[in-house]
Amino acid sequence: MPPRGSLASLKSFTPPVSDDRDHRLARAERRVVRERAARMEAEAIAEQGLRRLYESQQRLLLLQRITDGANRTTEIEAALRIAVIEICRDMDWAFGNALLVGDQSSTVAGCDVWYAADPDALFPFVEASRHARFEAGIGLPGRVLADVRPHWIDNVTRDTNFPRLNMAAQCGLAAACAFPVMVGDEVAGVLEFFARRLIVPDDDLLGIMGQIGTQLGRVIERDRARRALIHDAHHDAMTRLPNRTLFMKRAESAFVRMTVDQQVNMAVIVVDLDGFKAVNDTLGHQAGDALLIDVASRMQACIAAAEEEARGSGACWRATLARVGGDEFNVLVDNFDDAAAVTRLADTIHRCFAAPSVLAGKQIRCQASIGIAFGNQSYGDVEQMLRDADLAMYQAKSHGRGQSVTFTEQLGTEVRRRTQIEHELRRAIAERQFVLHYQPIVSLNDPNSICGFEALIRWNHPMRGLLLPAEFIDIAEQSGLILFIGDWVLMEACAQASAWHWRTGGERLPFISINISPQQFLQPEFVDRVHAVLMESGITPATVRLEVTEGVAIMDAAQTSVILEKIRAWGVKTSLDDFGTGFSSLSYLQSLPFDALKIDRSFVAAMNGSNKSRGIVQAILDLARTMGMTVIAEGIETAAQEELLRLMGCDMGQGFRYGRAETNTHALAKIMVC
Amino acid sequence: MKGVIFNLLEQAVTDAHGDDAWIDLLEAAGVDGAYTSLGSYPDSEIVALVGVAALQLNLQAADVLRWFGRAAMPMLAERYQPFFAGHASARTFILSVNDIIHPEVRKLYSGAGCPHFHFSNDSDGRLIIGYQSPRQMCYLAHGFVEGAADRFDEKIEVEHMACMLEGSSVCRLAVRWLH
Repeated sequence: MPPRGSLASLKSFTPPVSDDRDHRLARAERRVVRERAARMEAEAIAEQGLRRLYESQQRLLLLQRITDGANRTTEIEAALRIAVIEICRDMDWAFGNALLVGDQSSTVAGCDVWYAADPDALFPFVEASRHARFEAGIGLPGRVLADVRPHWIDNVTRDTNFPRLNMAAQCGLAAACAFPVMVGDEVAGVLEFFARRLIVPDDDLLGIMGQIGTQLGRVIERDRARRALIHDAHHDAMTRLPNRTLFMKRAESAFVRMTVDQQVNMAVIVVDLDGFKAVNDTLGHQAGDALLIDVASRMQACIAAAEEEARGSGACWRATLARVGGDEFNVLVDNFDDAAAVTRLADTIHRCFAAPSVLAGKQIRCQASIGIAFGNQSYGDVEQMLRDADLAMYQAKSHGRGQSVTFTEQLGTEVRRRTQIEHELRRAIAERQFVLHYQPIVSLNDPNSICGFEALIRWNHPMRGLLLPAEFIDIAEQSGLILFIGDWVLMEACAQASAWHWRTGGERLPFISINISPQQFLQPEFVDRVHAVLMESGITPATVRLEVTEGVAIMDAAQTSVILEKIRAWGVKTSLDDFGTGFSSLSYLQSLPFDALKIDRSFVAAMNGSNKSRGIVQAILDLARTMGMTVIAEGIETAAQEELLRLMGCDMGQGFRYGRAETNTHALAKIMVC
Repeated sequence: MKGVIFNLLEQAVTDAHGDDAWIDLLEAAGVDGAYTSLGSYPDSEIVALVGVAALQLNLQAADVLRWFGRAAMPMLAERYQPFFAGHASARTFILSVNDIIHPEVRKLYSGAGCPHFHFSNDSDGRLIIGYQSPRQMCYLAHGFVEGAADRFDEKIEVEHMACMLEGSSVCRLAVRWLH
């Protein structure tokens, strides 16, 4: 017998045949019941499948709508808004809210992107959510941020970690869920949703939300990349401050606001570091860059502190610091009520330079010159304001280090005048409009005998006649034109003096004293140039006296000494001009090889009534004698002055008493008479 | 008409009158009779089935529909439990028809033409249900409402304030809850 239950037994099974109709009917009825049950089960399975299919289709459509929306926009907020609206509508959730993770990654905050099917009814909760900020781990979004996964709350009104509980209860919200928006492994944002009924999470929903989070994360990534590009285009890579482009954008917007609304004020401040080039030249560009970074961060901090302080007292001005050039910074001050706020800000900037910067172990004290221009309706654009602020800054620089100047119309007029003069000077150089006049220098022991002349420049201005140096030398120095003018003076004076010597047949060789400007003196080719002029003019070198001021000597004493020695090696004499008016340091006087020293006219003029001045002059004379230097007193006008100086031991004199500066012809005539 | 309605009718008839009654009904109405819940069948077949039943029971078709609606509710509750979960009264259940039940029905039966009900309250606190459908089966709705009341053990009174069967453009049922 085959084992029970085997196929063999099935094959041998023969169903009992019954003729009993009732029995057959009962069997048929049982079959119907079974088949109905089978049909119903099949329907239930099919229905479940259909429901799943429908839901996944809907969710794919949802994902597609959100992805399409995300691809259409570059703005993260716009993509989040589309996602929040679509999800709420699709899921029939009452409220959706988007939050973004802050720069510190430890907080997540509402970015005012939300959707409520019925905003009126949800008003308190919407208000509590749209700008809400959560630390990691706190509240629903904080939990998502901390755990990097979705979170669900069946009933927010019974949750112990839900700060908006009261508002949620007030609005009848019950369930909540929140999902992370991911950029790589990092939570960049959170989407949170609320419903009045239970939200049941399932794998499909979690899956779709994960994909939505990834899509939105891509928008955030693109947005970050875009912002980084924009930031780089608008910021200085070294100091991280706004650059000229961004500064101009903001300044132009402020300018438009000012022109539209006369109540709105704006000002631009130009900050230029004093002596920055010297830092670069002496300590290297790396140190220069470090200095720029240091001062930029100091200025940034002190401007921010000043803004904060002003806000505390009710002011609402804003300032934008930008690096617009090598060592040049601009500050845009916008929306101030009181102009004094701007000048105070300039003072604050000066103060932030008080402490020295430490670069490569060295303490560098840096200062800045500041020019300020206040906006007004007469300006056509920001560029004009910046030009005026620049002018003011240059004016400040001319006052010495660490100064501020506010642009005024008067300054503008003065600058325009100087610009005009500069323009005319260029023409004067080209058209040889300069002439030299010569003032006699005499021996005090024999005042009738002329020892030499000082060559003094005059500008034979085509419109204004003969101009004294005071009218144009400053401008020539500032514009660099002094180099051309000084060179001409050197050549002309030597040529004329040489001509005098030739005319007198070499019997009388009055010396020629020539003023050398600091810039000219410090030109690398100055020594060669002097040599060339000596050769060309054929003048006896010993009759040439080059006068430099104290300012030259202190700029670079070592270099000055080298130049003077070279010149003196050919027999040329050197004089220290205007002694007593500048630093009058004995130490450099000792170290520099001068043949003569000129006492400034101010001491001579004061000698008459002042023992003190006499004392000073005597001291200078004693000093010069000790050092073997000849002394020439300038500005002698009276016989008493002459007598006094002679008795005090002064060698030579110059002044109206012996004659004003006169033309070459007159000078030659005097020489011939002597 | 979705097959599920025919299935429910079959179950109601069979439960009340036995298996043969359903067979008789199908044959008397001259319809095919092979209905699956997932299929769709001509509206005329339900009309024919209801008509034959009315004839045999000596009732109005409206009364048959109303009876069917009421009898179908426990079956629906068994078959679609989630629709009933979370409701504590017939009123909230009825109010969820448009927003929850019908969307769910559409998920299952693609293309299902569910009627839209318009709900309001009259000054007496009655729930007014507006109904408009080419099928004109307001009495089925009436029966469903009564079945829902039974489900939540509530007593109600339903009044047909207007009826498409009587020439109105819409049907309006007023439901009063009796305490």
